[in-house]
Amino acid sequence: MTDHMTQSAVPVPPVAIRQPDGSLTCPHCGADVAAEEAFCEACGGRLAPTAAGEAEVPDDMAAPIDITRSIQTEPENEDTVVIARPCANCGGVIGADGYCESCGTKAPTERDHYTEYPASWVAACCDRGIRHPRNEDATAVAADPTPGGRAVLVVCDGVSTSIDSDVASLAAARAARDVLVANRPEGLGTPASRVAATSNAIAKAAASGNAAVIDNTAVGSENAASCTFAAAVVEGDLVVFGNVGDSRVYWIPDHGAGEPKELSVDDSVAQARIAMGIPREEAEHGPQAHAITKWLGRDSPDFSPLTGSLTLGSPGWVLVCSDGLWNYASEAAAIQSLVAELNPPDLNPLTLAVALVDWAKGQGGKDNISVALARV
Amino acid sequence: MAEFTAEVYQNEFLPEGGTDVNAIVTMTCSGAGSAGQTGSGDAGEIIIVDTSGSMGRTKLEAAKVAASAAVDQILDGTWFAVVAGTHQAYLAFPLVRAGRGMVLMDSSARQAAHQAISQFRSDGGTAMGTWLTLAGRLFDSVPGLVQRHAILLTDGENHNETPEQLTNAIMGVTGKFQCDCRGVGVDWQVAEVRRIAQALLGSVDIIPEPDQMSQVFAELMQQSMSRGVADAQLRVWAPQGAQVLFVRQVSPTVEDLTSRRVEVNPLTGGYPTGSWGDESRDYHVSVRLAAKAIGQEQLAGRVQLAVADQVVAQGLVKAKWSDDEGLTTRINPEVAHYTGQTELAQAIQDGLAAKAAGDEETATKKLGRAVQLAAETGNEEATTRLRKVVDIDDSETGTVRLKRAVEKADEMALDTASTKTTRIRG
Repeated sequence: MTDHMTQSAVPVPPVAIRQPDGSLTCPHCGADVAAEEAFCEACGGRLAPTAAGEAEVPDDMAAPIDITRSIQTEPENEDTVVIARPCANCGGVIGADGYCESCGTKAPTERDHYTEYPASWVAACCDRGIRHPRNEDATAVAADPTPGGRAVLVVCDGVSTSIDSDVASLAAARAARDVLVANRPEGLGTPASRVAATSNAIAKAAASGNAAVIDNTAVGSENAASCTFAAAVVEGDLVVFGNVGDSRVYWIPDHGAGEPKELSVDDSVAQARIAMGIPREEAEHGPQAHAITKWLGRDSPDFSPLTGSLTLGSPGWVLVCSDGLWNYASEAAAIQSLVAELNPPDLNPLTLAVALVDWAKGQGGKDNISVALARV
Repeated sequence: MAEFTAEVYQNEFLPEGGTDVNAIVTMTCSGAGSAGQTGSGDAGEIIIVDTSGSMGRTKLEAAKVAASAAVDQILDGTWFAVVAGTHQAYLAFPLVRAGRGMVLMDSSARQAAHQAISQFRSDGGTAMGTWLTLAGRLFDSVPGLVQRHAILLTDGENHNETPEQLTNAIMGVTGKFQCDCRGVGVDWQVAEVRRIAQALLGSVDIIPEPDQMSQVFAELMQQSMSRGVADAQLRVWAPQGAQVLFVRQVSPTVEDLTSRRVEVNPLTGGYPTGSWGDESRDYHVSVRLAAKAIGQEQLAGRVQLAVADQVVAQGLVKAKWSDDEGLTTRINPEVAHYTGQTELAQAIQDGLAAKAAGDEETATKKLGRAVQLAAETGNEEATTRLRKVVDIDDSETGTVRLKRAVEKADEMALDTASTKTTRIRG
């Protein structure tokens, strides 16, 4: 579970004022502002964006074929009750009401459990887990067909104390992914310029995710939807990553091929304690350890991601995951051992993603679980 | 065209290891139309009047007026008959000896029926089983009758039959027709007549004074004529391995349906509900499940209403295991209310039975509990009736004293009305 630490203390920023001519003005200083802006250009006052960033995703017709057609994502089919599948519990027939006609077990919705497999080397699995009533996690991934190309991995973990977080987190993850797919650096450039451009794209993706969350928050909602954000963009041997909240990015080289690393840095009370010198084990299990200090959503005080990059240099896995997984294996070395133990045949990312999710469920599945993987 | 809706009231959250799910399901019918007029088949009505010697002149004359008033309420095109009952049963109208024992109502049949009713003579004993058996045969003599209803009037005990004979007669006609039963005066046995009414999906009540009969009969017939849905079956599906602990109608009256289950399929039981007008009825369903892990959700029951084998409304009863005590300890007000009302009905009946048997201690205890429950569940009608039988010292603790002088009619009214429940919502 992800809790806000200071949610109630953070004032909700005011919405821009719509003028009779349709233009928007800053409620603080009266300057003209755009719908998607979170801050006034003139006075710097905070605003609640009322629209997503414009035209960051080029439409299919206008985009160069080599950018958009090389990236594949799964067809969108969320939120539909699957009635053709037999009951997962007893194999019985699922009724039109979404429950098994024999044992009464609720048929999982697509939202409760889904996988993504855009290319042979990239996959994701997102699952309700055991104890939570619904799946407020979301993944969104995309990849070039050929291993060694470009992959985009995004995980958003909805804050379960807020309303409609399941809808908001999925919208955020998909919006962020689409921004990262569209913002593909063109030309070769230097490694440094590629990192800078991709880091910039991750910040844009977070902003777009933030706008998506707000778009999916009822205007009158007293408990605004919110979620975390973690993204990794793999390009050949380079990974650029960023996060808001406590969803994580790991580099897990194959056993013996290098040092595993937790790349992202949580925005959480636990992380703040670790920074103060408290041992990780103690910090992650202390009171409010899961309270996050940054998130996406209408009441977010700051959704700028902390970004970084790493040149990989050995075979392994780039992993983006929610706390539903790392609750049971926080240290990068623990995940490395786990991956070695699960030993997916043919290094299949989908097999490994599902195996990691099943493993976390076997550990108790106390939270929703998201795993996104790219094989490098 | 009749339309049905189902609403479910329950706390679906169960604690770790929790197994029992309780829900109140409200079934509502609208647009029912009139009996026999909706194109689904014909309706039949039989008026059964006690003409035993004990009726005497006053009650018999009142009964004639009442039977005629009921005849006046039967819609044209409805099949009907009038039975006069003593220690034997007589077909008073139509005047036939063979073939169809009922006729279609029209103005001349109505007039002829009035004429036949005016010939009633008070004579002989009482054998209600024979009356019911004749009514069953009369209904059977008309093919294609989909809705069958009778009104039975008696004034005395069933002297000329053993309880077993009456039981057999009731069993012989159960499912063949519905029967609303009324007792006039105070010389009849509530328990005996209730047995008939419950088995035949009807009501039972006392008519204390003969001059009230005519209005009661007219209203009963009007109500029956407004039931355009001939027959509906309550269905309860429970998952494989689950146990249906009970199925009760809890409003407008308490009727335990559990033992009336017929198998629809191995997981679904059917329970008769008779005909429906524009009305709501509440059912209390209790299901025991195997406990599941925290966070799991499953269906505990599908509660349906079926008309002519078609499911016309369905309510889902759910179970969700949670470790949130704030959710699992919540008491659903509808379930609590009707659980109290069911206990109230039982406490009144047990208390009156103990009183009749001379066990004043049990009677005081049970009726005291009834007073307490009536107060808790806001059943003011029950409280008013109880006040006529006991002096209430403290309704909160259920402290009462049995009244020394009680009108027999008041005691019988308390008994017949014991199963009537109040709603907690509008």
